[in-house]
Amino acid sequence: MSPKIVPWAVVAATLAGAAWFAAAMTVGGDRSALLIGETTDAHHQIELACETCHAAPAFASAAKAEKALNRACRKCHDKELKAADDSHPRRKFRNPRMAVYWEKLDARLCTTCHVEHRPEIVRASAVTVAMDFCVACHSEGDQDVRAERPSHAGLAFDTCASAGCHNYHDNRALYEEFLVRHAGEPWLADAPAHELSARQRVRKRPARAALARGDAVAPRAALADPAWLDRWADSGHAAAGVNCGACHAPKAGKNATRETVEASWIEAPGTAVCEDCHRPQARTFVLGRHGMRRHPRVAKPRDPLRQLRKIGLSEFVPETVALWLADPAPPTTMTVAEARIPMRSDAAHGTLDCGTCHTPHAVDVRHAAAEACASCHDDPHTRAYFASPHHALWRAELAGEAPPGTGVSCATCHMPKTERRGRIATDHNQNDNLRPNEKMIRPVCLDCHGLGFSLNALADGALVERNFTGTPAVRVESIGWATRRAQATKREAGG
Amino acid sequence: MKRTLLTIAVLAFGIGSAVAAEGIPFRKVADMLYQVMSADREVYTRMVVQRLTVDKKVITASEHFEDDSALPLPAQMFRFGAERVMDQTEDFSYALLSLNPINKKNGPGTDLERKGLRYVLENEGENFYGEEELGGERYFAAVYPDYAVVEACINCHNGHKDSPRRDLKVGDVMGGVVIRIPME
Repeated sequence: MSPKIVPWAVVAATLAGAAWFAAAMTVGGDRSALLIGETTDAHHQIELACETCHAAPAFASAAKAEKALNRACRKCHDKELKAADDSHPRRKFRNPRMAVYWEKLDARLCTTCHVEHRPEIVRASAVTVAMDFCVACHSEGDQDVRAERPSHAGLAFDTCASAGCHNYHDNRALYEEFLVRHAGEPWLADAPAHELSARQRVRKRPARAALARGDAVAPRAALADPAWLDRWADSGHAAAGVNCGACHAPKAGKNATRETVEASWIEAPGTAVCEDCHRPQARTFVLGRHGMRRHPRVAKPRDPLRQLRKIGLSEFVPETVALWLADPAPPTTMTVAEARIPMRSDAAHGTLDCGTCHTPHAVDVRHAAAEACASCHDDPHTRAYFASPHHALWRAELAGEAPPGTGVSCATCHMPKTERRGRIATDHNQNDNLRPNEKMIRPVCLDCHGLGFSLNALADGALVERNFTGTPAVRVESIGWATRRAQATKREAGG
Repeated sequence: MKRTLLTIAVLAFGIGSAVAAEGIPFRKVADMLYQVMSADREVYTRMVVQRLTVDKKVITASEHFEDDSALPLPAQMFRFGAERVMDQTEDFSYALLSLNPINKKNGPGTDLERKGLRYVLENEGENFYGEEELGGERYFAAVYPDYAVVEACINCHNGHKDSPRRDLKVGDVMGGVVIRIPME
């Protein structure tokens, strides 16, 4: 190469690079190279849907960008924080009387403690500040918790939220009066059972609705495979009167005939047909990591023509070039291979939608509740489940040797039942009560176990890994401290 | 008269500083805001909490009202209102504080709060007014006495395990309402 060309080549390469950068930032196209750092486990699935979080217009000031970023956090997480009876809600810290704390730990902003794209500082629960963050507000003057609580005098601040005693947001199972109320409970209840599971499993179905093998209405070719037909006839769908057309030909309507079903037959229906009937499940599925790519607040791929119009360049860029700049359409479902936790290699290509756990024709929630999980997950906790006391209880319930609701499957703990207006549904956000794990206590553990045992068990990481095979080797002191304080107060009052 | 009523109606919907900007002194705006807050607080305490928990004994009031299926405490109702306002505007803010708070976070946090709470405690029937700078912004601040209006107030405050004061009587000043309006 002639030496004279080198400067021009550098200029051309710089201009080309700048053009690509500007196009990727503002118009469209693959921008994975622009990621400034790995995102947390909480958001890695949607990290290329940048506008989901970075909602401010291009070239907005840093202050506006930060505001928009935090507004985006709240849009997705406000409901769960409200449900958690958030102990540190943002509105509490917006009052100017809290200004003294803004410089120490600005609790008005989610991003004070949860920064993305900084993998080197990420701690448990996606916290990105030092774990002694409580020290900022609870260590001085009247707010010094060590002065107020003699039991806390020698405790280090990095243990507040890591020893099973407190959480920053969700303390529903940890507040003092709750501890006192549940003090002294036995490790196991007299008749341990999950009430909502028990009620759901014995619920009566209308006998008239149940369909048998001969009631199937479908094109002849579809009925040719007797195995599929048998699976459907044994399924919950047949028991609930859901005929083939309900999923394969929803347009045919309720009074479908073989002809109308055949006319609108869909060989492989999408998840939309599931969502039509199973709305609470669909609504919660997109809140967890299995389904969050389908969350309605996750930004859709950019339309380059629209983006060009916004910046006034649509007339100058040929449409073919603009279309070349289209965002690569991200799959709406996760693949198992994309997970960051240990997974089975033979499941790597599997995707996550309703049919992944609920085999479409053999709609068997018992399979979905445990075996389906282990068909992908391959971590120590999952592997240990099949030799655990919980699994033995599950087997006994399935075999009819134990009452309904006494078995403990993966779903019992990770997808607990909820009741709303008399209807029981399974929470399909399997991350809802996962971290911090004390969130699991009220909706799950306390159905069968005492609070003290539950706190100890969940604080024992090795026991969690063994899927609760054994007894807790950790003792959380909070119940003892709370009861002793309550007794002392009672004595002082002469009670 | 019509204008005054309209002003109070507007204030009741939380647009305090807009009125202040039209020329009504900060002190007057704060006084009017306090009248609304104080009336709502007393009505809830007398007509809901006192009537149902003490007089008729049909329900209890509890700090953990969700778990206990009980009524929120009057102080919680007041705080929920204050926090709701903070969700909607930064034009004004308010808080219920005390020199003897059950919850330590409701103690005085600034010099003005400490001075104001002391003033309303020691000067019966009087309010305290001042200015202070918080977070780089100048605020007009007013502190109003908060009284134990009914038996329910003193039952709870005198009996609570975290209460630093257990000799309150009906009519005593328990603390103060602090209202702030940004001056710029």
